[in-house]
Amino acid sequence: MNQPVTQTPALTGLVRLLRTREGVVVLLLVTLLLLIGIFSAASPYFFDVRNGMNIGRAVSIIGIASAFTTLLMIAGGLDLSIGAVMNAAGVVAAMVLAQTNFGVPGAIAAAVLVGAAVGWINGVFIAKIGINPLIMTIAMQFILKGVTLGFSASASKVIVDPAFLAIGQGYLHLGVAAVPMPLLWMLLSMLALWFVLRFTQFGKWIYAVGGQPSACRRAGIDVDRVIIRLYTLSAVGAALAGVVLAGIQGAGIPYGAGNELSVIAAVILGGVSLSGGVGLMEGTLVAVLLVGVLKNGMTLLGISSVFQMVAEGLVLVVALTLDRLKGRL
Amino acid sequence: MTHMDIGAGVPFIDTRDLGKRYGGLHAVRDVSLSIYAGEVMAIVGDNGAGKSTFIKMLAGDHAPTSGEIIVDGRKVEFKHPRDAKAAGIATIYQDLALCENLNVTDNIFLGNELTKNPLLRLLQSRKMHDEARALLDELGIGIPSTRELVVNMSGGQRQATTLARVAKAGARLLILDEPSAALGVRETRALLDLILRFRGQGKAILIISHEMRDVFEITDRIAVFKRGALIAVRRTKETTPDEIVSLIIKGNS
Repeated sequence: MNQPVTQTPALTGLVRLLRTREGVVVLLLVTLLLLIGIFSAASPYFFDVRNGMNIGRAVSIIGIASAFTTLLMIAGGLDLSIGAVMNAAGVVAAMVLAQTNFGVPGAIAAAVLVGAAVGWINGVFIAKIGINPLIMTIAMQFILKGVTLGFSASASKVIVDPAFLAIGQGYLHLGVAAVPMPLLWMLLSMLALWFVLRFTQFGKWIYAVGGQPSACRRAGIDVDRVIIRLYTLSAVGAALAGVVLAGIQGAGIPYGAGNELSVIAAVILGGVSLSGGVGLMEGTLVAVLLVGVLKNGMTLLGISSVFQMVAEGLVLVVALTLDRLKGRL
Repeated sequence: MTHMDIGAGVPFIDTRDLGKRYGGLHAVRDVSLSIYAGEVMAIVGDNGAGKSTFIKMLAGDHAPTSGEIIVDGRKVEFKHPRDAKAAGIATIYQDLALCENLNVTDNIFLGNELTKNPLLRLLQSRKMHDEARALLDELGIGIPSTRELVVNMSGGQRQATTLARVAKAGARLLILDEPSAALGVRETRALLDLILRFRGQGKAILIISHEMRDVFEITDRIAVFKRGALIAVRRTKETTPDEIVSLIIKGNS
């Protein structure tokens, strides 16, 4: 039996496709469609425009933050201060609205500035001083949590400005679908950053820095500057997500989100490697939707939220296991 | 003078009493060497002779602790590899310094991407692929697709990609550290041809190598390092492998 294993051309093609990053996205997309099929069959409430929009709103905060931090993680970075930045940004926006006359633009600008400053500090300490990103951003998480709680006296800041609330609670009416604004912000963020990754020099450098930073340095790329920009961008994304979250909640809550691990899990599920160099924005989008559909479907089927957490973890392990195994096909 | 000039003209690069100390260790001491355009020079020496430290100073990777570097008759100070690159010095290390996750074109243009729209800096992908193709053909480098990822390529193809990048950047001095270490016979042949082609274009080439056969085949001069010092410079035509080996080991011939 010395015959080589025979494979049909179609199968070989499939194997080759799955080895590429586009293949990961395709596989995730197929899984997403399967899940949608299963939940649609199992629950009469699942396959419905309004439920779809609910899923969209539910994933939007994670989605916005994921979009920005995808760039950072492709370059090999890691940001665990995302949740703390979201809270700080929400509180800052609410306080600017309540205590100044700068209005909605001022509130958003202040939140983004806080995010940019935090991210820039993360980036400088990581790129210039050489502190491990994990340690630096965890430390920043503690610092920021403390400052936010102290600054707000541990009290939620209620927001009443209707224009600000519309950021989180408004709808864009498109035919039968009422698209929640948070979903729109998420899709716009992803579209803009997808464009950056795919078509710009900065996007190319993100992949290059994630692949071989020393090669980039020798090629004259200012790697430190790229890294500092990406940490800044990641925190700005978290701040924008925090603004939208404050809009949804109608308040800046200093101890609200602690969701950086969900964000990072989604990015990794989407095919970004922790060691950097690979990944696509399309993957992050599909992964974020996949997690949202999974949670929503299980809720509709009456599965407890306790098991939903278990399921989110299992999905990640299964996905990464398949990713490892496909190299041996 | 410990070195011999090969002829008329100003050397592309001169080092004057260049030295590097690491604490108590004198890795390179008082090296004065001139390298001319259109010449291939080998640097040979035992492990720890200071060859790598010497080229790293030329490449801007390490700052010298004494002496100076002169390029085109002007004193330069390299604070960063960028500075050396700007002066026309390109270094190709053993690890080849490619981004394996990117394709051939991306690597050739790395850091010098062709873009339009100064604000967004949009990549001109088609144009870069076309130029990369033309460059590879001109250099006689056999790489089937410029869209191939480096991770899927052979050692020789990677090296060729690195050299194509250097050629693209318009380097005037190429420094190669053990270029044939990971290559097969045919790939080494292609590499030597490529080096000679670069010499024909008037570039200066500095190569660190243990391969005496390669050294004698393509170089014009050979510089011998021992314990951090430059102990001899010989014209390749006027010496023998035996003499060079003797210099490397015993320090005299």
